[in-house]
Amino acid sequence: MGSILKRFREPIFVIALLAVPFLLFFVRAKKGIELNRVDRALIALLAPVERTITGTVFAVSDVFRGYLALRGVGEENLRLRREGLRARSLEQQVVELRLENDRLRHLLDYTDKQAPTRLLVAHVIAVGVSPHSHTLRIARGFDDGVVKGAAVISPDGIVGTVAQLTGGYADVQLIVSPLSAVSAISQRTRSRSTVKGTGDMARARLEYAPRTDDLQEGDVLVTAGGSGFFPQGLRIGRITNVGKKPVGLFLTAEVIPAVDFARLDEVEVVVAAAPQPAEQVPVATGSGQ
Amino acid sequence: MTLRIALVILVCMALAVVESVGPFLLHLRSVRADLLLVVVLYVALHDDVMEGAALSAVAGYLSDLTSATPAFLYTFLAVLTFVVIRLGGSALKTEGGAQSAAVAFGASLIHSLVAALVFGFFTGAGFHLEIATLLWSAVGTGIAAPLVFLILRRLDARFLSEGPAAGMR
Repeated sequence: MGSILKRFREPIFVIALLAVPFLLFFVRAKKGIELNRVDRALIALLAPVERTITGTVFAVSDVFRGYLALRGVGEENLRLRREGLRARSLEQQVVELRLENDRLRHLLDYTDKQAPTRLLVAHVIAVGVSPHSHTLRIARGFDDGVVKGAAVISPDGIVGTVAQLTGGYADVQLIVSPLSAVSAISQRTRSRSTVKGTGDMARARLEYAPRTDDLQEGDVLVTAGGSGFFPQGLRIGRITNVGKKPVGLFLTAEVIPAVDFARLDEVEVVVAAAPQPAEQVPVATGSGQ
Repeated sequence: MTLRIALVILVCMALAVVESVGPFLLHLRSVRADLLLVVVLYVALHDDVMEGAALSAVAGYLSDLTSATPAFLYTFLAVLTFVVIRLGGSALKTEGGAQSAAVAFGASLIHSLVAALVFGFFTGAGFHLEIATLLWSAVGTGIAAPLVFLILRRLDARFLSEGPAAGMR
């Protein structure tokens, strides 16, 4: 027996190395991703290096850009002041609308069931190692109040959800990942559908949109909210390549994400409202947003 | 564990950092080199079976750590790639830069295809294959392969010059 094992130790070792990962993958394929201690230790080793490299490159780039920016600072200052005035005017209108909205909701006895949330600013430090992964690594983890499944957004729209995390870092699964599906509402028609990732960074697929819905090229999709991870009303993208087959319940269409995932330096993570440090901005309260 | 194995693992970790930070800083969407796959190719063609298979598993595991896909997909694929390359090893020549680039290009295409199949079948996400992404990734891997091969050859040359006791087979 011993001699056989010794003779065939190479094939046995290789078969074991093939079989064990395959079985573990098979068992966990449809479950969520859970990091063990070794995973966490390795991420804790690699992520600070990624963060340092990214931070250094950004710091050098900021200095260079700062120097270039100084050259046209006078004109830009004037332009920004004008934009500031316009923004303040818009802000006033928004405040008025919000107050009006609150009054109307109160009149309708509307109660928002959504838990209070806040936004946590997070720096993107890297992307997934494999060319076929659709993840971003951010420098926030469960020490900052981030939980698995937390929504990650940017000013342009939704980015993805937290798939795995350690104390100081989290990996965000993008909405273009084949594992991602987001409930959507058309901003124009209010019709519901699902935006499903396909693995293409520039496009997603629209699913379960009834053929009878009047969805058109260029229509903007926003998050439906409800029991999903994302708060309601955040921009997902716009519809393109709408097709209506002669038969079938649903129309076919693609969605161009509102966010350019290759150019994200900072994102915001939606976390439960708790004691609010200075840099964290509240986005929603118990009375709705 | 020999010193050489430890150094190859360190090279894998360094390449994992380059692979995750480089595309982010350069805003690359599709032209992304699979550097850890190139390490698997190298060990499949140069190392003995047990050492090479173990190093391939480590390289795959490092890919798994940040892909946010169910664990061990890339570990399994890396060892599978090792086995396939090892079996066809006698037919593959990687002496020159162009040869290693061509082998890496082909291996990347097959690796991506199998990854998409296994991922789609077992996770229930369905089979999604983006041809453009697959091709550009293979191009990136082909371009990067001669450099990764050069790094690993230099590492091995040090051990060869110091004799087999240093850890090289």
